[in-house]
Amino acid sequence: MSRLSSGGLIDRARPLSFRFDGKGYQGYEGDTLASALLANDVRLVGRSFKYHRPRGIFSAGPEEPNALVELREGARREPNTRATLVELFDGLAASSQNRWPSLALDALSVNGLLSPFLGAGFYYKTFMWPAHFWEKLYEPVIRRAAGLGRAAPEEDPDHYEKANAFCDVLVIGAGPAGLMAALAAGRAGARVILAEEDFRVGGRLNAEPGEIDGAPAGEFVAATLAELCSLDNVRIMTRTTVFGVYDGGAYGAVERVSDHLATPAPFQPRQVLWRIQATRAVLCAGATERPIVFGGNDRPGVMLAGAAATYVHRYAALPGKRLAVFANNDAAWRDALAMKAAGANVEAIIDIRPDIAAPLAREAERQGVRTILGGQVVATHSGLLPGATLSGLTVAANGRTERLAADTLAVSGGWSPNVHLTCHHGGKPTWRADIAAFVPGSTPPGLTVAGAAKGSFALADILREGAEEGATAAADLGLATTILALPPVADERYAITPFWHVAGSKGPAFVDQQNDVTAKDIGIAHKEGFRSVEHLKRYTTLGMATDQGRTSNVTGLAIMAELTGAGIGETGTTIFRPPYTPVALGAFAGHHRGQDFRPTRLTPTHDWAASLGAVFIETGPWLRAQYFPRDGETDWLETVNREVKAVRASVGLIDVSTFGKIDLQGPDAGAFLDRVYINTFSTLAIGKARYGVMLREDGMVMDDGTTARLGESHYVMTTTTANAGKVFQHLEFCLQVLWPELDVTLTSVSEQWAQIALAGPRSREVLARIVDAGTDVSNDGLPFMGAIAGAVMGGVPARLFRLSFSGELGFEIAVPARHGEALAKALMAAGETFGITPYGIEALGVLRIEKGHVSGNELTGQTTAADLGLGRMASTKKDHIGRVMAARPGIADPERPSLVGFRPVDRTQRLRAGAHFLTPGKAAEVGNDEGYMTSVAYSPHLGHWIGLGLLKDGPERIGYRVRAYDPVRGNDFEVEVCAPGFIDPKGERLRG
Amino acid sequence: MADHSHHDPLAGIPVTLLPPDGHYGAQVEPGLRATRLVPAALASLAARRGREVELAEAAERAFGVRLIDAPRVSSAGGLSFIGTAPGRWMVLSDAASDLVIRLDAAFGRLAAITEQTDSALLYALSGPEVREVLAKGLALDLHPSVFAAGSAATTVFAHIGVTLWQAPEASDYRLLVARSYEAAFLRALIAAAAPCGFHLDGRG
Amino acid sequence: MRIPCPYCGARDAHEFAYLGDATVTRPDPSAADAPAAFHDYVYLRDNPAGVHQELWYHANGCRRWVTVTRDTRTHAISSAVFTRSGS
Repeated sequence: MSRLSSGGLIDRARPLSFRFDGKGYQGYEGDTLASALLANDVRLVGRSFKYHRPRGIFSAGPEEPNALVELREGARREPNTRATLVELFDGLAASSQNRWPSLALDALSVNGLLSPFLGAGFYYKTFMWPAHFWEKLYEPVIRRAAGLGRAAPEEDPDHYEKANAFCDVLVIGAGPAGLMAALAAGRAGARVILAEEDFRVGGRLNAEPGEIDGAPAGEFVAATLAELCSLDNVRIMTRTTVFGVYDGGAYGAVERVSDHLATPAPFQPRQVLWRIQATRAVLCAGATERPIVFGGNDRPGVMLAGAAATYVHRYAALPGKRLAVFANNDAAWRDALAMKAAGANVEAIIDIRPDIAAPLAREAERQGVRTILGGQVVATHSGLLPGATLSGLTVAANGRTERLAADTLAVSGGWSPNVHLTCHHGGKPTWRADIAAFVPGSTPPGLTVAGAAKGSFALADILREGAEEGATAAADLGLATTILALPPVADERYAITPFWHVAGSKGPAFVDQQNDVTAKDIGIAHKEGFRSVEHLKRYTTLGMATDQGRTSNVTGLAIMAELTGAGIGETGTTIFRPPYTPVALGAFAGHHRGQDFRPTRLTPTHDWAASLGAVFIETGPWLRAQYFPRDGETDWLETVNREVKAVRASVGLIDVSTFGKIDLQGPDAGAFLDRVYINTFSTLAIGKARYGVMLREDGMVMDDGTTARLGESHYVMTTTTANAGKVFQHLEFCLQVLWPELDVTLTSVSEQWAQIALAGPRSREVLARIVDAGTDVSNDGLPFMGAIAGAVMGGVPARLFRLSFSGELGFEIAVPARHGEALAKALMAAGETFGITPYGIEALGVLRIEKGHVSGNELTGQTTAADLGLGRMASTKKDHIGRVMAARPGIADPERPSLVGFRPVDRTQRLRAGAHFLTPGKAAEVGNDEGYMTSVAYSPHLGHWIGLGLLKDGPERIGYRVRAYDPVRGNDFEVEVCAPGFIDPKGERLRG
Repeated sequence: MADHSHHDPLAGIPVTLLPPDGHYGAQVEPGLRATRLVPAALASLAARRGREVELAEAAERAFGVRLIDAPRVSSAGGLSFIGTAPGRWMVLSDAASDLVIRLDAAFGRLAAITEQTDSALLYALSGPEVREVLAKGLALDLHPSVFAAGSAATTVFAHIGVTLWQAPEASDYRLLVARSYEAAFLRALIAAAAPCGFHLDGRG
Repeated sequence: MRIPCPYCGARDAHEFAYLGDATVTRPDPSAADAPAAFHDYVYLRDNPAGVHQELWYHANGCRRWVTVTRDTRTHAISSAVFTRSGS
């Protein structure tokens, strides 16, 4: 065990049990999985991606490249989870990844021998020959070998939420800068959200010893937190990562509500995706340490110096028993000496610099830590057993080499400000040579930066900047601010000499540990001409792993800069994009999963149809009855045939409430309709309805429907179900933008009315039984295409239309929606003696195809009125939307495919929509394509399949045959061209 | 399928069913209460072009209500006028329905009046967590400093169109949702409110 | 992105439907050059990198057409007014 007996932000009164690779261990509340593993002397935690090299814990935060575990088991199993971020909970189970049969003895470590062949860019040079080996051999083998963890095999049992939040000031990060910013803005009365990724606030103050205002830093954190919690206008969100900066002050964040629990509490979400709208934001995201690259730098036991210090100070866990430190900057010395003071056995500090600040040298001597200045680590060593961890290192200094024993090597190449969010709007960071780091360049509007994220590493500066930015943000919003008193802290220098890579070190020197990219790979990229930082990334895959190159990006581009001779600033970084850390897809879905993916709309008669056993189908967001199977019917076609025959023989009913219905009122209503329809409505008599066709301005048909005139200045329009919203938007455009001088208002009444179509030779008799006295539905009272107001079922107001899509005598009855179900039942009762049959949209489709009526399949947005045989409807006496463009020679061309009907020559053949037409004898090539079949149906009246389609010169070819070519489904046979109307072509049944 | 009823408040309720009255979610005093109200009548009112000022005057005369051409609600004598668009209001009446006739009589040629009683359902939302729950579906800031009593908004909740307001004399929120979307709306509301406990009533 | 609807106030762009350039005017359909003018009206658009006046329809709000002035490079919106007549 490597746990210090005291200290740390862990609760020794709350021990927790956990398992790793099947073995049981104990940790404490406040531990992460990584800290608990180190405290239990578990230092081998995974195998690397390509070469399967043994790897240990490298960091203490989200930048972790190696310690990726499969967390939990079963349906909640999560691959590639960073052990450094997992809050330990009782019963936690985790496994290492990417190894077989075991972590210590991994068969695929043989890949290491293949490393000369698996270098940068090998993907582009290998597995190409022979070509047919790819599908059968290479891909399956690569798939099995690739990847790290395994996704869970079952549906995620947890649920997620999405939520919106609004604030004046969003403070990102609750370290010293963020706490001060939140305090300044909060005291000024701003609505503040303080978001912190960690489960505790405090940032680096949790990871380092040190005093603020003469007391341990932890007391300052606790006192600040207490005051922030007392302010109503401040909301603190821990376990919350702000992952993206979007337009207009919108920020994306994910709150890990239950990740730290074995299972979420009842009805609590696992995670919440937040959309935060903030007028101002202050980024206090801190900085991430980077290593120095040298041969053998990936052995388990080599880790970042700041991380080692974090494990000692925050978790009271010793990373090892004999520590050495390798650095190029002063901060690493402070980390080393703090660890020593806390009880770690720090034996040596190796620094590449020949001179060091006197206070640091004195402190090292006082603590008995050996120092090697001007030294470099040129090799590491481990035991001979497979999976062995660090046992020693070789140091070169002043012309001599020396071997040191150590089981932990804490490395620091300096600190890189976490600039990522400042770049989400395309801003580029700038290089500061004095701290050898990139700092924010331009920032998204409304966002400022404070503290280490800005390149300020001294605590006094960090506290001051946080307070200033928080106050400025509040002041910009017009709030009165008071100057925060800054607590006194010790002075800290940050001196650094840039150093990236120990040239001439022995063994592979890893830059990106997660993707196994070495310094040599960068050399290969340079040699092969992939020198820009964007090419470097993609050719070597450096920075493309789940850690997004947090500990490797800067080092990698610095090594490339040395090779090209360009400056680091000139070389630049790749583009940072959201999300800053991975976000579970479930969080983006929230409630909208499965059946709730999008809202379902139900018709007023849904329950009635369901009670009759209807099968439903999605039509956009609606559920509509597709057909009503009866006992004994074996398939849908049998049901639909019955429904179709019943309508033409007697009577049937169908819910048509889903149509868009638009109420137009005003003296210019008729004139307005004239401008949007191709035909004329201003001359329509009161009490009559008319079929109308509406074009887009480019001349293509947009929609069709019937519009009825209910009064002098009152019309009601219907649209197709699918286009209801689009048509309403178009009409509002015409009225508000094109012709605002017209005196007419548009109101959607789609939801107000339930509407049922009643069709068949007995339909009038049925209808007559439910209308109230005074509502005359005789041929005189309600002639063909009539529209009247009346009452049904004893006082229910109704609108009655004599319309027919089916071609039979037919009516549509509209009642206020709450009466829809009662209307359906009343019609069923009234029609019982006629065998009234409910029918669905399948039968509706057959009926309209039998009559040659166009529907969605023909209104594709690429057909004109002329194409559909409706050209003569267009009035030449008035302008309407689309008129001018419909006359374009290209689309007014009579040779365009136009609407005709089709019958199979062999009457037993089934027709298919989508089959293309060819003149018999012509080759089946695109150049000979003459149109296609748009709609098909089995007609029970004719006893064979029928179709509608668009055919070049269609009307001239009636009586001739064409080839219906359908290679996708393997059909190829001849069809007869006929008029697009198969039943009662003169329409006599309509007008009775 | 595993039993998720301990965390899925909609377990066993298909999308085609209006969720029944009752308690949903966490077994605590509900953070949100939703009650379906039955307004006697609803109508939409759209000022005819250029007649907005006359309409406001007529509203004052006929109903004693100050008609505000903004997303606000003003009420008098059992009638509420909720601004939904420039020159357009949704009118609620809690008296017996001759609303369209009354509005016609008052506004005649000044406005288009359209019956809407069956087009939408009216809910009253209250409880200590009402804003927290609504925030899960509304991208609208309901903080009292920006959405005070008398404010109204036509917007979307979980992709479903709603009109929402806070009456001047009430502390609860009122909301209209289209009839065909009611089940989907309640499902989204239940999912959002389950963590803090939710009580639904008024549907019988 | 938030659009400041003149009636409803600042709302998320998802509440709106986008149409495009607000500076094009429907030509006179009876003019002699109507075919060419309509062709340009329907199909030709400038694509500026910078300030752009464009039409948005507040579909999930007040259902009014709004002319928005937006910088296409930054999405910064400088104004939003009800679309004026005569376009």
